[in-house]
Amino acid sequence: MKSTRRAIRASAVVLGLGVAVSACGFGGTGGGSESGGDSTIDLLVPTYSGGTKDLWEEIIADFEAENSDIQVNLEVQSWDNINDVVRTKVQANDAPDILNIDAFASFAADDLLYPAQDVLSEETLADFQESFVENASVDGEQMGLPLIASARTLFANTELMQQAGVTEMPATWDELLAASKKISALGGGVHGYGMPLGNEEAQAETSIWVFGNGGDWGDESEITVDTPENVEAVEFMKRMIDEGATQPDPGATDRTPLINVFVQGKIGFIEALPPTVDQIEKENPDLAYELTPIPTKDGSSVTLGVADHLMAFKNEGDKQDAIRTFLDYFYSTDVYTNFVQTENFLPVTQSAAEQMDNADMEVFLEALPDAKFYPSTNPAWPAAQGAMQTQIGQIGQGKPAAEVMAEIQARAEAG
Amino acid sequence: MTSAKAEARPTTAPPERPRKRSRRRQELVAALPWIGPTLALILTIVLFPAAYMVWTSVRDVSSFGVDRGPAGLDNYQRLLEFDAFPRVLLNTVVWVVGVVAITVLISLALAQLLNKAFPGRRLVRLAVIVPWASSVVMTSVVFYYGLDPFYGIFNQMLVDIGLLEAPYGFTKNAVPAFLVSMAIAVFVSLPFTTYTLLAGLQAIPEETFEAAQVDGAGAGRTYLEITLPSLRPALAVATIINIINVFNSLPILRTITGSIPGYDADTTTTLIFKFIQADRQVDTASAMSVVNFVLVLVIILGYLRIVRPMRED
Repeated sequence: MKSTRRAIRASAVVLGLGVAVSACGFGGTGGGSESGGDSTIDLLVPTYSGGTKDLWEEIIADFEAENSDIQVNLEVQSWDNINDVVRTKVQANDAPDILNIDAFASFAADDLLYPAQDVLSEETLADFQESFVENASVDGEQMGLPLIASARTLFANTELMQQAGVTEMPATWDELLAASKKISALGGGVHGYGMPLGNEEAQAETSIWVFGNGGDWGDESEITVDTPENVEAVEFMKRMIDEGATQPDPGATDRTPLINVFVQGKIGFIEALPPTVDQIEKENPDLAYELTPIPTKDGSSVTLGVADHLMAFKNEGDKQDAIRTFLDYFYSTDVYTNFVQTENFLPVTQSAAEQMDNADMEVFLEALPDAKFYPSTNPAWPAAQGAMQTQIGQIGQGKPAAEVMAEIQARAEAG
Repeated sequence: MTSAKAEARPTTAPPERPRKRSRRRQELVAALPWIGPTLALILTIVLFPAAYMVWTSVRDVSSFGVDRGPAGLDNYQRLLEFDAFPRVLLNTVVWVVGVVAITVLISLALAQLLNKAFPGRRLVRLAVIVPWASSVVMTSVVFYYGLDPFYGIFNQMLVDIGLLEAPYGFTKNAVPAFLVSMAIAVFVSLPFTTYTLLAGLQAIPEETFEAAQVDGAGAGRTYLEITLPSLRPALAVATIINIINVFNSLPILRTITGSIPGYDADTTTTLIFKFIQADRQVDTASAMSVVNFVLVLVIILGYLRIVRPMRED
């Protein structure tokens, strides 16, 4: 019996240890490209849509047909996982050669990336739109390669507006609040304004309100969350929630499921993205809706611009030329335009913008000059964003806006 | 010469000990090929990562995993200064004690039922395994969608039968979501616990019950004085493994309470992941993991001390 006891104790310790360890996120030992040689590049991308993998595979197949000496290994991860995968790979010295992700600044700060001019031809470099190059530069040197752009705008369910007796598209916050309350009053599971503050993308919704009050999140050297304009904007968000203009429990509602509810016709207004147009087309073509500019405090035009980037890691072996060949091929007008159009995003190169022709995208393209971005070149931004994702929803649980914003500011500085 | 002789003496004088020791060493060497692989496995899979975790917890690691040098105890300091820490610790205790206690109680009853012969027993026994056979994430997601206020069927049902006026966000508010998670945790822990206890029940010799009957003990007394004590080893195994499992359980809470802001529905284990994913602090997360490991050890040793499940009367 004594030995059983000891065995149980020992196995308890070992089990506990094993599980505790598996919880600390250590993983990925070595590995790397098996086929070897400098002409193999590892490409790690997230999924933008169900067709992302096929789209890349197609591009790679066409590329390899033209360049038989270069092989591209594709790895596709979901947005939920890709940050962890990258972190693990970098920690294990197994970074991909080319990575597609939102923020590149932390990698640049750790000196892991090639500058853009080392991995792109001059023509490709010159083709990027000015504002995006600026957004992709650290200390004046372009480190990220803009891949796609996205912007938000307000989607309005015109049928619900009609039922509630709202005749004009809201252009200011006060109009939005009034219209949303009228639609919420319809009852029957219908809500006025869809406010997704769950951790999926709370920072986007918050940014739309903050930018709509002339606020911002700072620049590449300083993160400014806790400012008077920003707090004022979040206070108005809280007012929307407290006065019943939004869906219940906004703090725990994620964006994707909420947009689904809008597509089903149960929500009056929601800030959504270009791919939402396509989603409505596929899932509920009968929905009566219109796109309209984002309401702001004083009615001036603003949108949240988001650019995702490609970046090239400095790995062992000289793969620079192979990377350059692949990237130049990818950014060539036809290949790139096809990529952007298939994924329903906005282009970041001038040649693709000229070639694109899509009436649905008009409202988005018009808002793009007034777009404000996340300060993603600031290495502290990911921590600020993460804090926003897990904290901002608390305004829906009765916590004062100023307190929540101060907490996020503190976290951004600690990261 | 003499001194050398004197020195050599003790080694030869008591001839018993060294011979025993060398025989032991020989036996160990002979056993190495058999235990070697296991040792290697423990070293590489368990001890090395654990040591690496402890090492990381005293380093300053950048948000993308680059080691920027020693950090002393800063990471632990940051944990202590973390405002939500007491609430998270309390949640963890409620989570572990609640889930394990309820699981064991229900399992005791279930095992008793399954130990009785009745028509269709095989089917019922199979049914009890189902939650075990399906993925925990899948089970959680099914509950999550079922409880969704917009399109969940549980919510729809509660509204339809008039228990609720409007759909309620069971998974959108910290306390109800935490309770839902606990219920799911009990649900998925039942099969293993029930079967462990059932095996324990079947190992009790029939004669003991007969003897009790002859001595005139009633059902309650027989259960308390014969069944429960005989079940002690099985109970100990079930409880300890459940404590470890439940304590380190992540998928249920991640799925059900993952989108809730703040830390009101977090245990220390989910907090580790928030440190990694939201705050990008691999180093703080490592410190938290070390604390987590110590915590689970304390809980288990406490259980062994207080309940003394292996005590022999």
